[in-house]
Formats: sequence, structure tokens, C-alpha cells
Amino acid sequence: MDEAMLLSILLQTAYASTPLLLSSTGEILSERAGIVNIGLEGIMLLSGFVGVVVGQETLNPLLGILAGIGAGALVGLIHGMITAYMKGDHVISGLGINLFALGFVPYGIYAVWGVRGYFNPSDQAKVPKVFGVSPIFIASLVLVPLIYYILFKTRFGLSLRACGEDPHSADASGVRVERMQLLASVIGASFSGLAGVFMSLDWLTTITKDLPAGRGFIALAIVNFANWNPLLGLLGSYVFGFSWVAIEWLKISALKQVIPVTLLNTIPYLVTLAVTAGALGRSRPPKYAGVPYKKE
Amino acid sequence: MPPEKEVAIEMVNISKVYPDGVLALDKVSLTIYKGEIHGILGENGAGKTTLMRILYGNIKPTGGKIKVFGKEVSFGSSKDAIKIGIGMVHQHPSLVPVFTALENIYLGLPSNFKEQVSLKELIERTGIKVPLEERIEDVSLGIAQKVEILKVLYRGAEILILDEPTTNMTVEEVKEFFSTLRNLKKMGKTIIFISHKLKEVLDITDNITVLRRGKVSGSLPTSQATPEELAKLMVGREVFLKLEKQGSRPGEKILRVEDLWVKRNDGSWAVKGVSFEVRYGEIFGIAGVEGNGQSELIEAITGLRRAERGKVFFKGENVTNAHPLKLYTMGLAHIPEDRQKTGLILDMSVAENSILGIHRKRDFLRPMMIFNENKIKEHVERLIQQYEIVVSKINAPARSLSGGNQQKVVVGREFSKTPDLIIASQPTRGLDVGATEYIRSLLLKMRNNGKAVLLMSSDIDEVMGLSDRVAVIYEGEFMGISETSSVSEKEIGMMMGGYKMGEIGIK
Repeated sequence: MDEAMLLSILLQTAYASTPLLLSSTGEILSERAGIVNIGLEGIMLLSGFVGVVVGQETLNPLLGILAGIGAGALVGLIHGMITAYMKGDHVISGLGINLFALGFVPYGIYAVWGVRGYFNPSDQAKVPKVFGVSPIFIASLVLVPLIYYILFKTRFGLSLRACGEDPHSADASGVRVERMQLLASVIGASFSGLAGVFMSLDWLTTITKDLPAGRGFIALAIVNFANWNPLLGLLGSYVFGFSWVAIEWLKISALKQVIPVTLLNTIPYLVTLAVTAGALGRSRPPKYAGVPYKKE
Repeated sequence: MPPEKEVAIEMVNISKVYPDGVLALDKVSLTIYKGEIHGILGENGAGKTTLMRILYGNIKPTGGKIKVFGKEVSFGSSKDAIKIGIGMVHQHPSLVPVFTALENIYLGLPSNFKEQVSLKELIERTGIKVPLEERIEDVSLGIAQKVEILKVLYRGAEILILDEPTTNMTVEEVKEFFSTLRNLKKMGKTIIFISHKLKEVLDITDNITVLRRGKVSGSLPTSQATPEELAKLMVGREVFLKLEKQGSRPGEKILRVEDLWVKRNDGSWAVKGVSFEVRYGEIFGIAGVEGNGQSELIEAITGLRRAERGKVFFKGENVTNAHPLKLYTMGLAHIPEDRQKTGLILDMSVAENSILGIHRKRDFLRPMMIFNENKIKEHVERLIQQYEIVVSKINAPARSLSGGNQQKVVVGREFSKTPDLIIASQPTRGLDVGATEYIRSLLLKMRNNGKAVLLMSSDIDEVMGLSDRVAVIYEGEFMGISETSSVSEKEIGMMMGGYKMGEIGIK
């Protein structure tokens, strides 16, 4: 294996891992505050679409990225209103996000560009590389330790985690639980939004309803695997990202004569299943994650 | 009486009507002076907690005025109360279990918070020592309670509201806790001590306000109060704190336990070779500090835990490790120690709970094994009437009942089995005077009717007052079994501390 090839594998792993890393980091933040959002997949898809629309119309990739983050934040706002303030069921709301995105995006692609299936943004709309790599990838590596620091080393983080562990005590201590949860939901969902535009404007540079391809759900699994710790989430995301790249290599190797490609494609998902099942026993979720906080 | 005492809190004509029309407080007025410990005494449901939550800004009153240090106040939320120096320590500490004590103390401090004294200094001055780096889930409830008090004081509280703080403390912890409170009083803090425990209120407070059914039924300095008078103010009638007991006429043996050995969940021995017998027409008491194996002993006898060695005979039949169902059909009833975990299914209705365990009875069934709703309704209504259970409707979940009423449901259900032997574990724990007295009188009545009672309680007064014979358990062994009349409270106390009866010179 020569140097160029190694570099290529590394870069591919990094890109395959970035959306998982962003999405799971956001979800860790959200769940630490008690808000479970299983709509990550839908947020990625919606944000990917909105990012392409804005990026393509303005031919300004930065505006595209901001629009994608904004779309994620908006979904997080709605989800937060439903779950934190209206005490709705977290799973149902998240399911709604996924279903809405799946229905809306194919329609949106057709409505905006008059094409069915997929749309590729023009080169001016794509995110330019910085030092030869994606700036969003670089940002993800900065954001993860930042989120870790905020969660575990600041007073804000303490209050946020208290909302997910014991909202009653947090409330009694003077933390505004609902407000904190809404904020966490908005920030958390923006991360999945960024993951979405990363795929549609930066890495894969296309928008189709299959864009996230289950990454939102794998990100949920990583949250669990990482025991709600962003640093472990980094590890988890790169393990999964690498398994994807490894599959691509297996596909062009001799192995495909023996195992059908479609079966090979399922490997990352099987890895997810195995790892999550193993992690479930030892992980300790925030006690009130997904439980609506009701005052007496 | 020194004349010019500074008034810390004045509540005038406070009323609270809940949206469902319940009148929780009816023109309650009270005055609390700076630097005193003021007891708020009352039965469960008398309105103590409601009143204090109004003072703390948790609940808005329907009418009335509150003055704190002479200024009239109106709280939007407890944050306003905290701002002017009122702190409340709830019955269940408001601490995050997975956070350390220190993290909990810092949690939720406002961004513009300025500390008046450093935490270190505060700990030195108050003498409240807690392991700051330990997680709350790893410390005892007594320590958690102290952490909460530190937290409240750190936020600059001058007035401390303590809601039934001693509920989960051991006797030793209570002692230590009271010396802390006296220390705080010396520092000039005003303390409001809510309780339904007469002894504690008499011990620690300077003045007492008694509430009954949402009204002030009495207000007096502690120095002039007697337990009998306070009890009367609480329940509105004479309470026989000393139960009247006729001589016992014990008959044949109904329960015989031989050399019983039982393990805890963690595999260690909880009960190490206990033997005793219970006879018809007597109350047999088991005293002891909680955690000395009495719970496991009762569980083994009632078929809820495996007996590793030894035998249990009930009515002459060997029932060692028998299924609870068999024991029930043979005439044994059990009031379990923990009404919420073992006694009731909290999310099921009062009606459903009232037939738990007897739901197989023909009386409640129609052909095809369908429940006869009318019969069940009759049954539960009979219990409600007989045991004076306060419940909004029979289909309300058991969770919605107060602790005392939950216990009454359990007690009523078990007595409705018309058992020959009733095993009562901590039957009056956490209950108010009225309910306690009622349940105790029921147990006595059982005995007077020639049935048998096995009573396990960590309340010495209860065991001594009710039992004909008493055994003291310490670290899984009986320190002695004696006629209650021939042993003193002090001797029982020594046995609870691990002295064998022979060692302290009885018999």
C-alpha cells in the first residue's frame, strides 16, 4: 500500500465519519438535557436539501451551510417545543420528523428543480476545500472537544446535565428546565443539520431522499455506545466510518466473487447492531432522557 | 418572655382553594420570630406542606398576606423566595443522584451570584461536614439532607424550611442532626421544622403551631406543651398514646420458627439461626434497628424469600419455603414493610388494589372467571367506610393517595382476609397519629379476639406498647425473648445495641 492510497483511505474514513460524529455529538448534548430526538435522519435529509437550495440559488456555499444549520435548528425548536414545553412523546415527535422529511424532500427536489430523484449542485455552490480538506471536517474536530468541555467543565454544562438526570432537582435548584431543554434541542439538531449540508454540499455533493442512508440511526447507536460522552462518540464515529470505507475496499477486492455486494453493504449496520447490543449492558443513560418533565 | 423580638415571618389569613374545590388552607395565620426553631405540627394532609410551599413561592395562595422581615412580599416562583433569603429542604432531597455533593451545591446558581461566605467557611461555622466529592447516590439520606441544607445556606438563606427532615434518618442521625440545627439557631438562622412526630417537635422547637384540616388549631411555646395536648390539637380528640391492653390469654402455638437461616440479596447471612413461636391470642413483637435481618426474616416466613436452613410451621404444618398463596389460603395475612413496593401496585386503582391476592375468590367472580364489578365496588366501599380512607374515587390510582391512606388500603385488604395470623411489618411507619392509633387498635382487637399477631417494628414505643412478648434482633440473631412486662425500654435499647439478654442481667 503506497502513501497516496493510505492518505486516501484516511480521508475517506474521515469523511464517512464526519456526519456520524456531528450528528451523534449534537444528540449527546440534547439527550444529556433529557431530550431524545430520533429524527436525526430526517434532520440530515431536510438540512441537506435546504442547504442545496440556498447554496444553488445564491451560489454561495457559506449561505448554504448556514441555511442547513438553520433548518436543523428550526426542527430542533419545533421538537423542543413539543417535548419540553408541551410534554409530548419524544419518540413520536422524532418519528414525525423522519416521516415528514422523507415525504417533503423528494417533492421539494421536484418543485424546485423540476427533476425527479436527485439533484447535483453546481460547482460554485459546493464547499471549497481548505488546506486540501473539507472545512466542515475540521470544524467537527474542533466542536467535539468544545462540547465535551461545555458539558463537563462549565456551570452551564452542569445545569444542562442536571435537566437530563433529575429535572425536579434541577428545577428546585433554580435551573430553568424547559428553557434549557429547548436550547439543547435546538443546538443538538443544528449539529445534525450541519451533518446534512456536509453531505449534500461538501462530501457527496448531491441531494436525494436516500442521502443520509441510515446515518441518523447509526448516530443514535453511537450515542449509546459512547455512553453519552462526546469523546467516546469521536471514537465510535470513526469506527463506524472506517467500517464503511473498509466495505468499499472489500467490494473491489476478490471477496465480491464470494459474497454478494448487497450483503457486504449491510456490514456497517450489522456492526452497529452488534456494538449497540454489547454497549447496552454497561451504558448508563441520563435518567430522564426521553421522559417529559412534569411539575407537580 | 423577652419583649422586642424581631419578627421574621408573618403570614396573615392565608387561604388556598385548589381548582377542584378542595379547601387546603382556611385563613391560616402565624408569626415566626427571627432566630427561633418553629415547629409546624399536624397530621398528614393537614396542610403543613401546602402552607410552607406557599411561603416558598411554589404555590400561589388564594388569599392572605405574607410579610418577611416586615416587608410584604408576593412570590411568582421559588426563585423570588430564595432571593430574599428563604430556603426549603424538601422531604426527598432535591439533589441530582449522579452528581457529587459539591456539584449539587453549585448547580443552578444564578450567573450574578455573589457568595456571602465561602463554602469552606460555611462548613466550618455550621459544623455540617459532608463528603463533598462523593456522589449523592453513594451517601445516606441523612447526609444528603445535610448537603441540601448546606446548599440552601450557601445561597444565603436566613430562613430555613425543613419538611419532615427526619423521616429517613436513624435515631443516631436524628441526634446529630438536631445538634446541627441548634448550631444554626445560634448563628441566628430562623428554622421552620415541619413534622408529625411529637417527640421531635417537643425536643427541638421553641414555639409550635399545630394545623388540623387546613386551620390553625393551636399555637403555643414548646415549654408549655405536653405530648397529650399536642396530640389532641392534631387530631381533635383524645388520643390514647398508651393503648389500653387487657391481660393476654395465649393459647396454642400457631406459628413456630426453628433455627431459620436466611440470606440477603448479596449472599451474606441476614438471619442466623432464629427460633421462636407465636401463640393464638398474643402479639409477638420483633424489635431492632432496621437492617439487622428482621425484613429478611419476615420475608422468609411469608414465602417471599428462600429460607436456606431451618423450618417454619404454621398451624402444625411444615410451610418452609411454601408459596405465599398457600399461606394465604391457610389463614395468614401480611402487611408488608414497604407499602409502595410490595403492598400496592401504585398505578392500579384503589378498587383493584383492594382485592389484590383475594381476587381469585368466588365472591368477586362471575361465571367464566369475569370480575363481578359490583361485588368489587361493594368490597372497596366497605373498606373505605370502615377504615376512613380518604379517596376521591375508587378508580383513582393508588399512587394518588396520601401515604397514610395507602397504608389503610393495605391494612384494610389484609384484615378483610379474616386471617388467624397477621404479620405486620412496620405497620404505622410514616403515618400520622390518628391513623397510627387506629391501626394499633386493630392489631390489639385481633389479639383480643384470640387471633395471633407477629409485629415487626423499629419503633420501640410501638413494640413495647403492643406486644405481649418481645424479641430483639441484632445482626441476624435474637438477643433475647421476653415478656414485655418484665423488661424495660432501656433494656430493650441495650439489646438493640447488641447486648444479649443474659449479659444485662435479665433472668
